Amino acid sequence: MSTETSTFKHVSSSPHLRNPLTTGGVMMNVVIGLVPVTVFGIWHFGLHAALVIIASIASAMLTEYLFDLIAKRPNTLWDGSAVVTGLLLALCLPSQCPLYVPILGSAFGILVAKCFFGGLGQNFMNPALAGRAFLLISFGKVMTDYSYDAVSSVTPLASLNSGEAVDLGKMFIGLATGHIGISILCIVIGGIWLLVTDTISWEIPVASTISFVIFLIAMSGRGFDPYYLAAQLCGGGFALGAFFMATDPVTKPMTWSGQLIFGCLYGFLSAVFRTQGSMADTTTFAIIIANLATPLIDRMPVPQPFGVGKKGSSVIPSVEALNAPKRKSMIPKSAIILMAITLVAGGGLACVNMMTADTIAENERQAALAAYETVLPGMEITSDDALTAQVEQFAETGYGDGAFGRVYINEAVVGKDSSGNASGYAISVSSMEGYDGEIAMSVGILPDGTVTGISFTTITETAGMGMLANEDSWKAQFKDKNVEAFKLNKAGGSTTDEEIDSVSGASITSGAVVNAVNAALDFFHNYVVTG
Amino acid sequence: MGIYNFRGGVHPKGYKELSADKPLKEFLPSGELVFPVSQHVGKPAIPVVKRNDLVKVGQLIARADGFISSNIHSSVSGKVKAVEPRLNNAGVMVESIVIINDNEYTLAEGVGEKTDYTKLSAKEIIEKIKDAGVVGLGGAGFPTYVKMMPQKPEEIRWIVANGAECEPGITCDDRLMQEHPEEIVEGMKIVLQLFPTAKAVIAIETNKPAAIASMKKAIAGDNRFSVLELKVKYPQGGERNLVHAVTGQYMESASLPASLGCIVDNVATLAAIYKAVALNTPLYERGLTVTGDGAAQPANYIVKFGTLASEIIPDEGGLKPGTKKVLLGGPMMGMAIPNTDIPLEKRNNALTCYLEDEVEIAQGKLTNCIRCGKCIRVCPLGLYPQMMAEAIEKNNLQRFIDVHGLDCIQCGTCNFACPAKRPLTQLFKQGKPLAMALNRINQSKKEGSK
Repeated sequence: MSTETSTFKHVSSSPHLRNPLTTGGVMMNVVIGLVPVTVFGIWHFGLHAALVIIASIASAMLTEYLFDLIAKRPNTLWDGSAVVTGLLLALCLPSQCPLYVPILGSAFGILVAKCFFGGLGQNFMNPALAGRAFLLISFGKVMTDYSYDAVSSVTPLASLNSGEAVDLGKMFIGLATGHIGISILCIVIGGIWLLVTDTISWEIPVASTISFVIFLIAMSGRGFDPYYLAAQLCGGGFALGAFFMATDPVTKPMTWSGQLIFGCLYGFLSAVFRTQGSMADTTTFAIIIANLATPLIDRMPVPQPFGVGKKGSSVIPSVEALNAPKRKSMIPKSAIILMAITLVAGGGLACVNMMTADTIAENERQAALAAYETVLPGMEITSDDALTAQVEQFAETGYGDGAFGRVYINEAVVGKDSSGNASGYAISVSSMEGYDGEIAMSVGILPDGTVTGISFTTITETAGMGMLANEDSWKAQFKDKNVEAFKLNKAGGSTTDEEIDSVSGASITSGAVVNAVNAALDFFHNYVVTG
Repeated sequence: MGIYNFRGGVHPKGYKELSADKPLKEFLPSGELVFPVSQHVGKPAIPVVKRNDLVKVGQLIARADGFISSNIHSSVSGKVKAVEPRLNNAGVMVESIVIINDNEYTLAEGVGEKTDYTKLSAKEIIEKIKDAGVVGLGGAGFPTYVKMMPQKPEEIRWIVANGAECEPGITCDDRLMQEHPEEIVEGMKIVLQLFPTAKAVIAIETNKPAAIASMKKAIAGDNRFSVLELKVKYPQGGERNLVHAVTGQYMESASLPASLGCIVDNVATLAAIYKAVALNTPLYERGLTVTGDGAAQPANYIVKFGTLASEIIPDEGGLKPGTKKVLLGGPMMGMAIPNTDIPLEKRNNALTCYLEDEVEIAQGKLTNCIRCGKCIRVCPLGLYPQMMAEAIEKNNLQRFIDVHGLDCIQCGTCNFACPAKRPLTQLFKQGKPLAMALNRINQSKKEGSK
């Protein structure tokens, strides 16, 4: 040792002791907490699940490494956050998904949500969930295909929503269909580990669970139904989110009160999406939206320093305290103004909607009438009480018990010729299975069962593809045909009357239309002619 | 009274066992002694001796200049070598009185003479405390006599002896309470004489059972006294937390303990009051702990002010080879010194020596802030260190003030807890003076516009 180092000691600012816990240690604790659920997932779903997990972690680490390399940043792999991201993403993927899914998802999450925003600590949303949202949008079908062992099956939540019974015990243990991190039991064990090691605090899991349950009771329409509530808690990704994703330190508020608000927001959004939404996925978007609220939440609670505002503080206030400026509100003025504008605009829209509601209904009526007249040219359109009664029995459930997909018979009317005899029928039918939701149309049918034509009243398909179904040439395929049912010919070049050429590149749209027309025909044969 | 606790705090490893069983031992310096004229909060004292003057133990060598200032006395007898700027422990050149020790320890006239303090008036007692140069020995060095003159003396209800000693490693107060509890109790009785309606509370962390027992024994039979046990936690000895423990009331940063009817003094300060008033002995020595894994012989010394740290822990024999860091004070709030050739003074309660520099190791593990919120949870004052640090890093001093950064006592708790190893306390030490300057500018602007 040189004399210099023996004479001069290290100097630094106090404190000179440091807690042994490091960022890497925090991440390691999370990984340890995830071990039970990971092991269970691999045991339950088989080897492919392990491959998905490995691919996801490897992709996350590689992406971060390459970004650091290209961006000439210090290597940050050792902090372990990439491992956590990769593992968390894998745990919310279907076990049998192709390996490009976790690889792309992790890469997107790490690169776009984290690295581009400045790396660890700077990401505004959970990178794993950003990756998952990206995958949901890009590979919707793969992401919701939970079949394994070559057996297609539905998730417990889907069963629950369609009114079937689910096995709560199996759901809790994780013996069900779903993403890899499915075992609630293992998640709770891991969550307890995180709480014991002080890696997370209790606020978010507790607040989110309580608010989730309360809002489910309020919004599900089932009231306080313990069986339903337990199934909702055990189903989907809510528990994984509550313990491992919403508690991600970077994207949650830092303060005690902020975390309570954040937890309630997550629970509320989850309940809304589960009960009111049509998306299969609720946790991802609930947490992401809550993440986006974090900076605002963090600015709201101003710290109350020891003594300030407490009862009995400063019996004799000091001069400084009296002269101190009043504490400013921490909600930025601009936010208040923006909120006011939003409220006014929203209120205005609501008023306009109320005032125009009748006009809109009238317009719709006119459009429907026009459609009836299109398919039953030259006839006088009249409603028929017996027909209306027939239609109404299917108003709630839809028509055909799924034989035509989700279709609804909206209305059936009679077309009368100049002498007042029924010389044709028009049936308004909607299919919910268009590429972009509802397609509604009128189908004109002569008393002998010949289709006179179809006319759309609602169609919002993809321009240039699905919308081509609205071309006269395509609609003409149904015209003047007398068949039992039409058949979709995806290949084109139809020769028989039954066959309908699919719109090129829009077989979903075409199929929905064919189904709807078939439903109308079926309704006609079963309820109109006989009735 | 139950064991008091507060919200937040951390548990750094205590390692008090290194020196806890070492009795206080007088350390006699041999070389020259250096007395900086600024060893307290307030204005530096004015030297009253000059080169070649002969001085005795307890003799005044620099007198207080103004209201908030303090007398300084010689701790040895000998000859003044020089009155010149010397390096003090903060690394600043400060006017200092250098005395060559004659090793005789001849007492100055009157020093050590007993006085019956019960016959003294309040004014006389305060005058004696002032003359003896007693300042807060907990580390702040605030002139004690000023504390004894609150605006409304009749409202003082508690005299609190701070024996928490929550800094890791330091044991000199612990030893003082075990070995000389009567000095502390007598000191408190003197203060009680100033505030006859007050009660006396001695606050001690529960990791010092011997001190608690010793103090309980010393106060037995006097119902004005009680011992308050505090949970072992850093920073339990913080004044605002202590006042809350005693009174149940919260103290704002802008107020003094006296506004809540409290007078808080370190146990060593109270012992110094006793010596000053009853024994006519000015403050020229104090307890000091030598500890840490780099100290060859952990010990508790009574050290005479002016003694160079290098005499107590010489490189050969005092420090273990390879000692990387030497601190004046404890590890949480103490100051690292680049070398040991600096004089010890009134505010120094420990020399902590480390073979490893934890800060250096931590720097290798520095990451971005992961916003885990641990700093917020541990802050004993309920502040948001993360937001304060962010404000300073972005040079947004107004934001720092808005999130009450000026309330920070720089106890280092948040910095200790931070897993990302952010240098929080350092940022606050840099930012606080800047923010206070901004505050003053704003205030003067406001006054200007009126």
